[in-house]
Amino acid sequence: MASERQIAANRRNARKSTGPRSGAGRKRASRNAYRHGLTSSITSTAAYAKQLAKLVREIAGDSKDTIVLERARAIAQAELDLARVRRAKVALIERASAFGELDPPQLTVTQMIRFVNAFERGRPIPKPIDALATMPSKEPDRSAEAVRQVLPELRKLDRYERRAAVRRHRAVLDFFGGMRPDYNR
Amino acid sequence: MRRTNELTLLPKLPLLITESADEFDALRDAFEQEIKPRGIIEQMYVHDICAIVWEILRLRRCKVVIINSAFRNALQSLLKPVLRQPGQYEYQVEGEAEALAQAWFTDQEAKKQVSEILAGFDLDESAIEAEAIRRSSSDLELLDRMLTSLESRRNKALGCVAEYRASLAQQLRESAERIIDRKGVLRLEDAASEHSTAA
Repeated sequence: MASERQIAANRRNARKSTGPRSGAGRKRASRNAYRHGLTSSITSTAAYAKQLAKLVREIAGDSKDTIVLERARAIAQAELDLARVRRAKVALIERASAFGELDPPQLTVTQMIRFVNAFERGRPIPKPIDALATMPSKEPDRSAEAVRQVLPELRKLDRYERRAAVRRHRAVLDFFGGMRPDYNR
Repeated sequence: MRRTNELTLLPKLPLLITESADEFDALRDAFEQEIKPRGIIEQMYVHDICAIVWEILRLRRCKVVIINSAFRNALQSLLKPVLRQPGQYEYQVEGEAEALAQAWFTDQEAKKQVSEILAGFDLDESAIEAEAIRRSSSDLELLDRMLTSLESRRNKALGCVAEYRASLAQQLRESAERIIDRKGVLRLEDAASEHSTAA
């Protein structure tokens, strides 16, 4: 555990560091917390904002009531969140089907030692396994294999999808707690 | 006309390249005929149900393919111990097991031979299937969890439509009562004003 003096010294040193100074550095640091983007605001792109506005107008109808519009916005946002997760799921499967894997496999220590030994002794360097070659060439086997490969990721995305669906249903009930839907529109 | 407008507003469900858009449309039409959604909110719920059911069908297809694709390795690993003679190691029969497992899919003679070998140990083709399931059990378990989760979400989404309609019905009842009450108040007010003018 750090002593009082060490803690004080760390704090003094930390004050000297003000983070990246260059434009590129600041831009890079601004994305430090970015992981997958699924929980970010849906209004982050202009196209989304436009789609969101259209959907809000369709749900809220002619109402100009701020509360009604805000509740309609919550429904539309959850609906677009759901769509985004579904697109991510399909994109992951398509990627696995096209490339055979999502991330290139990391070399194990044993593999690295073999690689270095082969290099030092002038032997042919073992070729990495081509993930694409291990994929079945015919459908539906290829798609099934792609789904199998991304199952853990699909399960994670499923949790986001579930939360977005719950959020939308709550928003719908809140919305109609305040106004009556017009079925004749 | 209205329906088309609502559907273009809702984000289109992305399909895999190998999936048929016509089949998805047919599924959506079937659900729409059954649920008869009215308004954008009910359209959203139906869209949701269709997306979930489509994913369930996709995963079920995968489940079958995963088991089928594990058949060759399953047969090979099943044949190795049964082909091995006393005093032999498994690696010594590896080539024979591999060739027989390969031929099992295309050659009727090989299929018959495998059946006879298995029968010698009171086994049949279901032993191959069991081994294929055992070998892909971790994937199948994950798939089953996802299927259970999707089925529960589908049921909840169906429940959401019912809950939404019930809350709407409740609201319509309350609105109707308010209107009736207001009319009653007006009638009483009218009666009171008639009395005062008569007096």
